[in-house]
Amino acid sequence: MEILDKLVNVALIAATLRTTAPILLVALGGSFTTKAGIFNIGLEGQMLAGAFFAVIGSIWTGSALLGVACGVAAALAFALVFAVLVVSFRANEVVVGLALNILAGGMTISLMKAIFGTRGSIVGHGIVGLPKVQLPGARELLGSWAPLISGFTPIVYVAFIAVPLLVLFYNRTRLGLYIRVVGEKPEAAEALGISITRVRYIASLLCGLLAGLAGAHLSLGYITMFTENMSSGRGFMAVAILIFSNGDPLKVLAGCLLFGFADAFSLRLQTFGYPSYLVLTVPYVVALTALFALSYRARPKIIAETLASMQRLLSTDKNTGPDGKHPS
Amino acid sequence: MIRDRLRDVSGQIIAVAVALLLGAIIILLVGESPVRVLMTLLRGAFGDQEKIAGTLLQTTPILICGIAACIGLRGGMFNVGIEGQLFLGGFAAAWVGFAFPLPPGIHMLAALALAVAAGAAWVAIPAYFRARYNTNEVVSTILSNYVAVLLTSYFTIFLFKRPGGWSETPPILATAYLPEIFAFSRLNWGLAIGLVLALGAALIFRYTSWGYGVTMVGSAPKFAEYGGVNVKRQGFVVLLLSGAVGGLAGGVETLGVHHRFMEGFAPGFGFDGLIAALLANGSPVATIFTALFFGALRSGSLLLEVDTSASREIITVIQALIILSVSAQVLVRRRGDSQAGERRWKF
Repeated sequence: MEILDKLVNVALIAATLRTTAPILLVALGGSFTTKAGIFNIGLEGQMLAGAFFAVIGSIWTGSALLGVACGVAAALAFALVFAVLVVSFRANEVVVGLALNILAGGMTISLMKAIFGTRGSIVGHGIVGLPKVQLPGARELLGSWAPLISGFTPIVYVAFIAVPLLVLFYNRTRLGLYIRVVGEKPEAAEALGISITRVRYIASLLCGLLAGLAGAHLSLGYITMFTENMSSGRGFMAVAILIFSNGDPLKVLAGCLLFGFADAFSLRLQTFGYPSYLVLTVPYVVALTALFALSYRARPKIIAETLASMQRLLSTDKNTGPDGKHPS
Repeated sequence: MIRDRLRDVSGQIIAVAVALLLGAIIILLVGESPVRVLMTLLRGAFGDQEKIAGTLLQTTPILICGIAACIGLRGGMFNVGIEGQLFLGGFAAAWVGFAFPLPPGIHMLAALALAVAAGAAWVAIPAYFRARYNTNEVVSTILSNYVAVLLTSYFTIFLFKRPGGWSETPPILATAYLPEIFAFSRLNWGLAIGLVLALGAALIFRYTSWGYGVTMVGSAPKFAEYGGVNVKRQGFVVLLLSGAVGGLAGGVETLGVHHRFMEGFAPGFGFDGLIAALLANGSPVATIFTALFFGALRSGSLLLEVDTSASREIITVIQALIILSVSAQVLVRRRGDSQAGERRWKF
């Protein structure tokens, strides 16, 4: 019981929130492409490129914020290449995604060697990390529970605020609706005069934006350094989450909290002397178990949801004018 | 027919050329001369007979992993977990090699057999869920790679560490060695195993009804189903076979080259194999040549790190660029007849 107390406490929950943030951001990014009907296995590479160029930008400009901007720009570049090949050239999305992941891995290591002359990791060199935000009044209000809402880097807050925003985006905005229609029923989108190509480009780029933020959080927020392949499969876990959540922001959040907890818990177990190699497998095993356990139920649900959305679409058809504007 | 084949090959070559051009630009950006890098790569890959043997040594695991990937691709399955199967196969072979004294020959075969079994077993769960519930095999096999690498490291460092050694198992007994071909190189008969596998796979796909069924499931699953193929069971078997060959690659690498299992003993061979198979468009015979190409790149890159300021990962960049430009050309043409918005790997 004492061990349990040591393992599970406020610090662990705060750590869970910190480890959840990067995977949540990248999974929310992937939700755009998932909803738009693109299987985006390239999240991992976008995240890695984001992490690397965030560090480079931070060193060059001396500003953490500009570093984040550089990371996002790099991830956007990867997302754009992905979109050009997959959407315009209609290349196989798995092949392109995997190739971009390999490209990101090789490119970051090569550039690291070229710029810093080292292998392995970039530490120091004047990397400016993101500041921790101390919410005023948190300590007075919550006492020892304050670390649950205060003292995170800004991107952590962005990640969690993005969840309700995305719910609103998919349900209340025209672009959100378009993305869903394009993903679930491209023929219907075409019939409505929606440009599938344009919507999928937008979805890919929005995905790159959030994946870049996730990467920047890894190298400037979570810790202040870059190491080879530091995204270590988080992008793939995000894809696993996207498969069984079907890209719904709230389910994505639930899945990411599960993995964040597994991640934080495994880090905690390591400090208690359990063999690190076994402990490190925990998040991956959790991801695989969840993927297998939920996939068996997910399939009929996806079909049901598609049918439901078709019905919704048909009913909105009657209520909308020729410009396709949604009444709400 | 021949004209189609020629167009396919020329498309592939143009794609490689475009990728090499892009690669040259990146090498310039990294601050090296592309010509110098190319010359160093060539010298490192084909400079003398030892270098050539070294290239073939690097080709062997890429070729076997490439065949593993080909089997999957033919059946419409992306086995991205070859890396993990390679690690488990490698460990399994080493374990038989150092823990069980057996007569020569039989020992080696037993070790390879366990490597095959380990690879197949490792992919069995993703394969079952892919076949039964259509669980996306790309994600499940990728994630299982991470588990496989960590698990074999755990075995090596916590359970079977060589006394006084550093993250490696005890050496395997000489009875389990794959014999070397030349005295001056570690090149071994594993290469022959790879070539036989490639030709065997090509013959099976070409001349057996089972192989035809696999190809049909891969290219037109509905048609295959109407034709009486049990698509689900076949998908399971295809992934299992692919995993088995992946495990064999690991066994060949430990028994032929390292003679022990080490942490990180074969980094990236699984992915190189997948890329080689993609570049070969899933043809086992063409994979021999693409694997040789990537083996030469890898072998040359060893010298690259010594003689130039570029890092050896620059070849990974070139490989990725090749696949990207090929995917924009050949894979597009293959998919040119599909309906707008229709995607095969949709979930």
